[in-house]
Amino acid sequence: MFLAFDPTTNPINNTEWGFPLLEIIHITGFTLSVGTIAIVDMGLLGWGKRGTAAQLLKETSTWTLVGLIIMLISGPLIFSSDPNMYLGNGSFRFKMGALLLAIIYNYTIHRKVAKSGAPPGGLSKIVGIVSLVLWVSVVFGGLFIAFV
Amino acid sequence: MSIAESIQSIGFLADIRESALVYPVIMATHLACIAIFGGMILMTDLRLLALAMTDRTVTDVVNQFRNWKRVGFCIMVTMGILLGASEAAKYTPNPFFWGKMASLILVAAHAVIFRPMVYNNTAAIDAAPSLPGRAKLAGALSLLIWFSILSNGRLIGYWEGPGSPGKPIASSVRSAPQVAATHAQSR
Repeated sequence: MFLAFDPTTNPINNTEWGFPLLEIIHITGFTLSVGTIAIVDMGLLGWGKRGTAAQLLKETSTWTLVGLIIMLISGPLIFSSDPNMYLGNGSFRFKMGALLLAIIYNYTIHRKVAKSGAPPGGLSKIVGIVSLVLWVSVVFGGLFIAFV
Repeated sequence: MSIAESIQSIGFLADIRESALVYPVIMATHLACIAIFGGMILMTDLRLLALAMTDRTVTDVVNQFRNWKRVGFCIMVTMGILLGASEAAKYTPNPFFWGKMASLILVAAHAVIFRPMVYNNTAAIDAAPSLPGRAKLAGALSLLIWFSILSNGRLIGYWEGPGSPGKPIASSVRSAPQVAATHAQSR
């Protein structure tokens, strides 16, 4: 499907500002989503001074979703600038795998444990650390697309 | 040899620049810190604008994130200095680099102005019958300044430099150029 797509006619490749602007929007989007998830992680780890993970989740989940939507619109548009390069890029494929895992994890295990209201203990700490590791992997995978 | 060249010729900075792994790892760490700690800046600012976490007092939100924002800022700045210093000769003529530095000075100015009025005075803000204008102004300006830092930071990699058309500073811009001849010139 992507093979039939001609990137040279893509507006993103034919304006000077299109691509960098999309990247800036993408970074803003993931700062909002990953950043708010990290706030919940701090609660899970018991590092936040006030507020349980459940409270923090309730207060930030809308913004997490807003960030995810921004990120999931800008990301595919960036991808459309050169689909074949991305598909053949090992770091991109790693990123997509990590992203899929991170999103599923966020809306299943992470959410459930954060909502459970249990005091920060062994389980919630592991859940918080796994969340941070997953999202940092996504960011690393994204950056390394340009270096592999 | 210029000052920039002298800086980047320092042993470990040259090592960073020439390493195929260390340079991107530092850059990725810089970016990961933006993702993790940037959210705290955003939430604090949005609370000051009464757009997020409104169930909580401003005092609560400011205190919740303050120390972590500081930790994040220190890591980000350390990584940024390593990146900038190892490529000093490429960065010093880059207008976006200076745009970013100027914006960082604005962050300091913002802190000097609003810390006594807002961040260290949250009890008065919470006690006010409606959210004071100075809190909203602090939040809005902070959002603006940080967005400027982020944008300038990303655009550093797109500046071609005088007399070096089509030569990107960072290799982090390899996507579109191969496919669009017009674009290849601008990366």
